[in-house]
Formats: sequence, C-alpha cells, structure tokens
Amino acid sequence: MPFHKLVAPLLGLASSSTKSVNPMPIEPDNLLKQAFASHGRLALSFSGAEDVVLIDMACQLSDAVEVFCLDTGRLHPETYRYIDQVRNHYGIEIDLLSPDAVDLAAMVKAKGLFSFYTDGHQQCCSVRKIAPLRRHLVHYDAWITGQRRDQSPTRADVPQVQPDEAFGTPERPLTKYNPLAQWRSADVWQYIRDHGVPYNPLHDQGYQSIGCEPCTRPIGPNQHERAGRWWWEAATQRECGLHGANLLPVKAL
Amino acid sequence: MKITLVKKILADGSPCQKCADVLARLQSSGQMDRIDAVLVADERDPQSPGMLLAERLQVSRAPFFLVTTETGAETVYTVYFKFAREVLNTSISQSQQAAEILNDNPDLDYI
Repeated sequence: MPFHKLVAPLLGLASSSTKSVNPMPIEPDNLLKQAFASHGRLALSFSGAEDVVLIDMACQLSDAVEVFCLDTGRLHPETYRYIDQVRNHYGIEIDLLSPDAVDLAAMVKAKGLFSFYTDGHQQCCSVRKIAPLRRHLVHYDAWITGQRRDQSPTRADVPQVQPDEAFGTPERPLTKYNPLAQWRSADVWQYIRDHGVPYNPLHDQGYQSIGCEPCTRPIGPNQHERAGRWWWEAATQRECGLHGANLLPVKAL
Repeated sequence: MKITLVKKILADGSPCQKCADVLARLQSSGQMDRIDAVLVADERDPQSPGMLLAERLQVSRAPFFLVTTETGAETVYTVYFKFAREVLNTSISQSQQAAEILNDNPDLDYI
C-alpha cells in the first residue's frame, strides 16, 4: 500500500485536487526517514536553491540518495557551479535531466529563445521542466520536493505527503513528499546557517527564489519571493481559476 | 452525445489564453465540429451562461468540457488531453501533455 495511504489519517492527507488539512505536521527529517523506509525507489528533486537542506537531511539518513536536477539549459552560471559544489560536498551523484532535444529544437525554431516574455512561460517550462520530470518519475514510486506553502499562492495548500495525481497513474501510483511544506523561508535559512550547508551565491545578490536566468530576478525588501519569478505576467493570466463570487468550492474532477 | 465547451473571459475583459489555445487546437485538428456548444464564462458577469453552468457543476476552472450522453449522464473534463483522448479519441503529443500537466498544477513551474 502506498505510504500516503498509510499515513493519511495522521496527516489529514488530501489528494492534490482537494484542499488539504494538515493538523499534525511531521518534522522534515522524520518524514524523510519514513519516506526512505516506505519506498524502494525514491527520488529527491533539487532546484539548485535552498532546497539543498533536504539533501543535507537525506544524506544523514541514507547512503543511496537519488538526487536529480532539472537542467533547463537556462540556469545561471552560478547555479551550475553550485550544483557541482553540492555534488562534491555531499559526495553524491546528481542526475541532470535535460529537455528532449527534438521538442526543444522545434520550440526554439518556431518561437525563438525568449518567447516566454510575450506568450507566457508555460510552454517553455513544459518543454524544459515538466516533460523531463515526467519521463524521470516513471522510474520511481515516490519523490521528494522542497515545496513550501509560503513560496507562492499556488502552493498555499501543499500538504506534506500527497498522492501525485499529476505524474502518477492508477496503474503506477506515485507519492509526493513535501517535507518542508510547513516551514517558512526563515526556518530554511536557520537550518542552513545552523548546519553550515552550502548555498547558492545568488542568494547573497538578492535572489530569493532561483529558477532560470531569464525568468528570475532579485527582489527588494518586503517583496514576496514570487515577485522574483515571471514578474511580467499578470497573476490572473497564470492560472485557470474562475473568479466569480457566486462559485462554490472546488469539486475534484 | 452533446459536447459543451466553456471558455473564460477574465475579469479585466481579456480572453483566457488557455481557452484560446484549446480552441486553436480543436480548429487545427478539424474537431471543432464535434463541439456542439461554446459557452462564455465571463468573470465580470456571474449570470453569463458559462458561469451559471460552472456553478451548477461546481467547476472552478476553465476551459472545461461537459459531455452529456443520450441518457442524460454528464461528465466534466477540465484536462484537455484527457478529454481529447477519451472523448475525441485523439492522441496528444508528450509536449502537449506536459503543458496540460503544468496548466493543471501551477505550483510545478516553481520547481
């Protein structure tokens, strides 16, 4: 039985299509420990940013941590160097997942290298991140992300454990762990400082959220970290919700 | 079988890009003929036909498809490639499926 079903009563686990309630959060390292004990094939997603804390925790729990990073081809030079620094610091292998060459070439040929500034970032992210991620996760029955509720309105309801309905299927269920879901940015940075964890030098330049170079910028004081990503897009264009005052709550479909 | 497509007009009056993409795909694949009705869910008008249908079905996203069978059974699809595969019997490319996944899981772009 998938782990998320075993712990569902404890975590108030909800599917990704329903609003979650998580009355009893588990400390991230304890959740990682449970994840390692529950899954034979478990992958840890590393973005080259502050989610490095998960690598630090995982390396204290297992000698066989499988880490991957989505190499979009558009990351900052600092991030590429940092990924290698993490690899050497922890003595681990890191899978760098590249976009499909044919799909990428077709997109760039048709729309150029910066189409996201006019068409939105979804197509580029789909080719450079989502498709490689989907191909990779086929090989696993669980994965770990550094997603936190305080990162973005789109993550406000992220539970600590959830059945992954985006990449899993009824025939091949996938569990998604978000151990840091309830941590705030300050908690993450406290951990980094307390444990001497190496971090991306871009953070010292005002970058709070780090993604691809063209789509990431430093933010100013008191700005939400989401302001550092895709800032040219209106919030209403980023998602598909219907914002009528008369609508009832979401029904899972 | 009757197929209804609901497309969205944003609160600022601009068209929903995703809805336009779906309509373009249906047009280019010659399958627009399979769509029996297109309703507009205008966020500025709760009484617009698409908003009323969304309320009745408790759907909070657009675009979406409502498939009604001869017996009156209704199925709602908020994921285009699932609709295309199950109703139109159309295969969708891997990159299109990836785009749909991101569209339905906006938190993923932040990875």
